Amino acid sequence: MNTKEYLEKVKSKEVSVVKTVEKILQEAKNSPNHFTAISKSYALEQAEKIEKDPMGKLAGLPVSVKDGICVRGIESAAGSEILKEYRPPFSATVINKLEKEGAIIIGKTSQDEFGFGGFSVNTKKIPRNPHDITRSCGGSSGGAAGFTAFTTQPHLALGESTGGSIANPASFCGVAGLTPTYGLVSRYGLIDYANSLDKIGTIGKKVSEAFLGLYHIAGYDEKDSTSLPQKILPEKKIKKIAVIKESLEVDKEIKDVILSKIKNYDIISLPLIKKYSIPAYYLIALSEASTNLAKYCGLRYGQTLPLKGNFNEFFTEVRSKFFSKEAKRRIILGTFARMSGFRDAYYLKALKVRTLILNEYKKAFKKYDVLISPTMPIIAPKFDEIKKLSPLENYMMDILTVGPNLAGLPHLSINAGFKEKMPVGIMLIANHLEEEKLRTLGEEIERS
Amino acid sequence: MSKFRCGIEAHIQLSTRSKTFCSCPTSGSENPNTLVCPTCIGLPGSKPVLNKEAITQAIKVALALDCTISKETFFSRKNYFYPDLAKDYQISQYEIPIGTNGNLDGIRIRRVHLEEDPGALIHKENTCLIDYNRSGIPLIEIVTEPDFKSPNEARLFLRKLITILEYLGIYTRRSEATMKADANISTVGERIEIKNITGLKEIERALDYEAARQEKEPARQQETRGWDSEKGITFLQRIKEGESDYGYIFESDLPKIEITKQMLDEIKKQIPELSLEKASRFKKQYKLQPEDAETLAAEKELAELFEQVAEEIDPILAAKWLRRDLMKVLHYNKKELKEIKIEAEHIIELLTLLKENKINDATAKDLLIKLIEKPFSPKGHVERQKLGMIASEGELERLCKEAIKNNKAVVEDYKSGKQEALHYLMGQVMRLSGGKANPKITEKLLKKLL
Repeated sequence: MNTKEYLEKVKSKEVSVVKTVEKILQEAKNSPNHFTAISKSYALEQAEKIEKDPMGKLAGLPVSVKDGICVRGIESAAGSEILKEYRPPFSATVINKLEKEGAIIIGKTSQDEFGFGGFSVNTKKIPRNPHDITRSCGGSSGGAAGFTAFTTQPHLALGESTGGSIANPASFCGVAGLTPTYGLVSRYGLIDYANSLDKIGTIGKKVSEAFLGLYHIAGYDEKDSTSLPQKILPEKKIKKIAVIKESLEVDKEIKDVILSKIKNYDIISLPLIKKYSIPAYYLIALSEASTNLAKYCGLRYGQTLPLKGNFNEFFTEVRSKFFSKEAKRRIILGTFARMSGFRDAYYLKALKVRTLILNEYKKAFKKYDVLISPTMPIIAPKFDEIKKLSPLENYMMDILTVGPNLAGLPHLSINAGFKEKMPVGIMLIANHLEEEKLRTLGEEIERS
Repeated sequence: MSKFRCGIEAHIQLSTRSKTFCSCPTSGSENPNTLVCPTCIGLPGSKPVLNKEAITQAIKVALALDCTISKETFFSRKNYFYPDLAKDYQISQYEIPIGTNGNLDGIRIRRVHLEEDPGALIHKENTCLIDYNRSGIPLIEIVTEPDFKSPNEARLFLRKLITILEYLGIYTRRSEATMKADANISTVGERIEIKNITGLKEIERALDYEAARQEKEPARQQETRGWDSEKGITFLQRIKEGESDYGYIFESDLPKIEITKQMLDEIKKQIPELSLEKASRFKKQYKLQPEDAETLAAEKELAELFEQVAEEIDPILAAKWLRRDLMKVLHYNKKELKEIKIEAEHIIELLTLLKENKINDATAKDLLIKLIEKPFSPKGHVERQKLGMIASEGELERLCKEAIKNNKAVVEDYKSGKQEALHYLMGQVMRLSGGKANPKITEKLLKKLL
């Protein structure tokens, strides 16, 4: 039973919402570390209500939420220790929108701390890949994609992408991960990583599920000043597609899987993106992140320690104890990039490069409807392989995903096949607000 | 004092009803942490939304200070750790402030920008509490070039600035605590910064103190100093090693703000005639003395009252009574014009009675003292209380004769040429008349009788 059929049967009361929710809660509990918090009693309470009175277009649909998206009264820690046990007094706009349509929040999914990583290992609860539990789910929305692959029940996952955190785990777990145009979905209630890059998106087993979710969370929100007044553009015929030449400089097997899925394509070169997107992305993202993380100092919420010394000493002690090594690395890098004397050479220059990268894409979209690349240069790595990676090698894993993220372009990762029995993702990138093109081509690839 | 140079950074709270980036009210509760929401206490996931009224008010100030208004402006994050700062960064403006290159009466304004206020620390014996009610309240920062050559010049500038802000409806004198300033001073030695002085008088005191201190002992290093208003001294806070580094980045939660010509035209329409223009108009239109014109224009309520009265009454007389007598009476009773209910029509009645010789100066002053207590019609009052001047020559002659009879010695003095003696006799007639004698007629009669 796919999601569409399930929602119809909820309406006609041919299926029990309570039983479905009970099953999925059990799966969430049994999943390999996909959840940081499960809202069992709340979900069951909602399920009973909705079973009796199935109001709303998503009535009875279980939704898992990436930990960094605030849900009122439910621990929302963005995978961090410093926010452990933090229960927000308000819900993100996306949560309110989904709940209004009758969706049921079942819990919070595990992720890299504040989204800092591509393997969901920078956190206490490390999600494991359902295809092979010795391997990573990818990240940072690791729990979200992992559970989407793991569950047998109708389900939608909310993820978040700053530099590829939806596409990456979708690729590693073999599911459909949709990152919308920057500003299409309100960020109100999303715990910030990098404000100019963060986007809430959806993950489903199928393209149609990811899109069903998107349609219900998209839209202007006066609480987020960067949210767009425009809507997704209406569907248009796809005339031309192109594969990004530089993205094929990956493992031959991955390349072959990708190319086997498409036909009638050109190959185009986007050299700036390959050369500069990683440094530009990390300089901007970490500059912003280092300011966003300043407020976690043990004073107002989250974890704290007994007051000792002056405020500087106290803040330092709290932050030293509760931030992970990766968070500290990113705070230090980001702070450095924006200090006077370095600001021009790093932070401001990266912003200029970002514009150039956007222009390179825009030029390509004059000719092509959709650009294609593998999502990740590798298949999901084993945890012991990840341990051997240097920080730079870690960051280089984002080489294919940071481009569309820097440019705020919608992109969709779907499964294209397998290598060593592990999923290989193909990534489709469209121009701003042209999500429908991703849907059309994505469903075509899915069927092939 | 010749080497004294000083520039000022003034921070003034705008008069918006809600905060800069959320809809929390800016006043209405004394209880700590009751005027707060997820945004102004910086809860994870909250986002700022700009209050357009704050931008409008900031543009008004920049225009009134003759600034160039940026066509496009934006916010930045000023990053520093401090317990009263809810996000541990302040949303402020850095590269492109709302206004630049302004001028107020010869003092150059470097920039005018908009930013949010932090919360407040409340120190108690062994603890320190934080109240975030202020957090997010809009402030404008006005930065001058180092153009002041004495503490007094700085004070005069700030007075003019306050007048402008009053005209714009942004500042009220009673809330003087909402003006804070940092001052950069250099004399012969190194540059000294005095941080966070609250209130106009305190700013002048601090500058006076520091100027005198440096006169004796020129600074040998760049220092940041604090101001202790109780002891009346500045004290060393830290030695400056280069400029502070706030690691500014753009506030990407807020889009750029385009200030269009249309927007500016709209805002310009809302700016009333300001004190300088008003003073020069008063000089021209009403032929007032420069000093009278400037004093009347310097206070919005006084200027308005004057213009209402001057429509009906000789402007010179109106100016004299409002600027001198009314101000004197208010000052003596420690009152401000804006806190009393005085009606223009009552002043008009009062001055008409005076002009038509129905009452004398003394009675007019008495009535003025009563008018600042509560509004009433002076005309009706004079009729009821029979305060009208005695102008009947028969009645006055009777009183003059009585005064001459009772003061023989004085009369002798007058006859031997002492002019003051006449004044004394005038006073006596005035006393006998209960202050109501018409002075001109009395003088004429006394001279005749003597």
